[in-house]
Amino acid sequence: MGHEYVPEIATDREGNQHEVQGWQGDFYGGKLGFWLFMLTEVMMFGAMFLALAYYNALHPQDFLDASASLNRLLGGINTVILLVSALTMGLGLLKMRAGDVKGAKLMIWATILLATAFLVIKGFEWTAEYNHGIFLMHDKLLPESSLPFGQKLFFGMYFSMTGLHGVHIIIGIGLMLWLLKRINAGKVSPEHHLLYWNIALYWDIVHLIWVFVFPYYYMIGAGGATGGH
Amino acid sequence: MDTNTVNYQEEKKVYYKVLIGLLLLTAVTFIQPHMFMTGSTFMAQMLIAVVKAWLILMYYMHLKGEKLITAMVWFSLALVLVFFIIVIGIDVSNFQYGAESPITAAAEHGAGAVNTAPAAH
Repeated sequence: MGHEYVPEIATDREGNQHEVQGWQGDFYGGKLGFWLFMLTEVMMFGAMFLALAYYNALHPQDFLDASASLNRLLGGINTVILLVSALTMGLGLLKMRAGDVKGAKLMIWATILLATAFLVIKGFEWTAEYNHGIFLMHDKLLPESSLPFGQKLFFGMYFSMTGLHGVHIIIGIGLMLWLLKRINAGKVSPEHHLLYWNIALYWDIVHLIWVFVFPYYYMIGAGGATGGH
Repeated sequence: MDTNTVNYQEEKKVYYKVLIGLLLLTAVTFIQPHMFMTGSTFMAQMLIAVVKAWLILMYYMHLKGEKLITAMVWFSLALVLVFFIIVIGIDVSNFQYGAESPITAAAEHGAGAVNTAPAAH
């Protein structure tokens, strides 16, 4: 496809140039290291899920009521968007490995577009909740409001976890833009695609976290519990 | 698994098959509260999520065939679970300030006290 790999070059004191032998040449090591990083992500979100489960055990009915009041349609659309974006990212990697660099870049742009759509929908959702008085340190979530305490805990965790997940989406978009830049500079190619592989893994972990966030917040109260506000 | 060789058509097929599986499971997520296991929605939802996570891990994250990384993931998850469930579990069950904490006190004193508990801050 005419996409040449441009190696990293380091120059010594005498002005001699040397090709850097770094992580690009150690595919398995680079992958293993990234898995270790992802485990720290699991620990971070795992701790939040643990707190959520503890609060849930203390206030089961409040959690069901609060969950029933969330917008399942928008949450569901976002679930499908992330699902399709994981596919586009994976197909892009596959195209890159098969030598179709142009197709791979197109898939990255498709993933960025889907990620942006996810954030826009989340923005609409949060705005609607804010207008109902539900937001961190605002109206119904203030200590003096009459909203049941368990619901305050639920929504506090909801904004914290979906917010942190949203930050990961934004970081993901940034990483994909950087990846495009690296591909254009010839630093990522069909033969040297470790960076692409790891960013695709990152996108999958972001998707994986949502796989648990969505049912815990949106679906547990879907069985007929009445809305809490 | 050699991750540098690629059978494009074959791997593309797998990606689409997994997508269909995940979409079906998402549909099941929506119908479950009205169709089956209605008395234990939480358990059913988490079960579906675990199946979805397994598909993503095995096929999208290419864990299938990766023995060393899979072993490392299991070991690390077991370690995390030990800390989360045993160590923190012991700590929580021996929590000394249950009566003073607005979170635990609210739960212990029932719904009536729930609405007023946060004023402690």
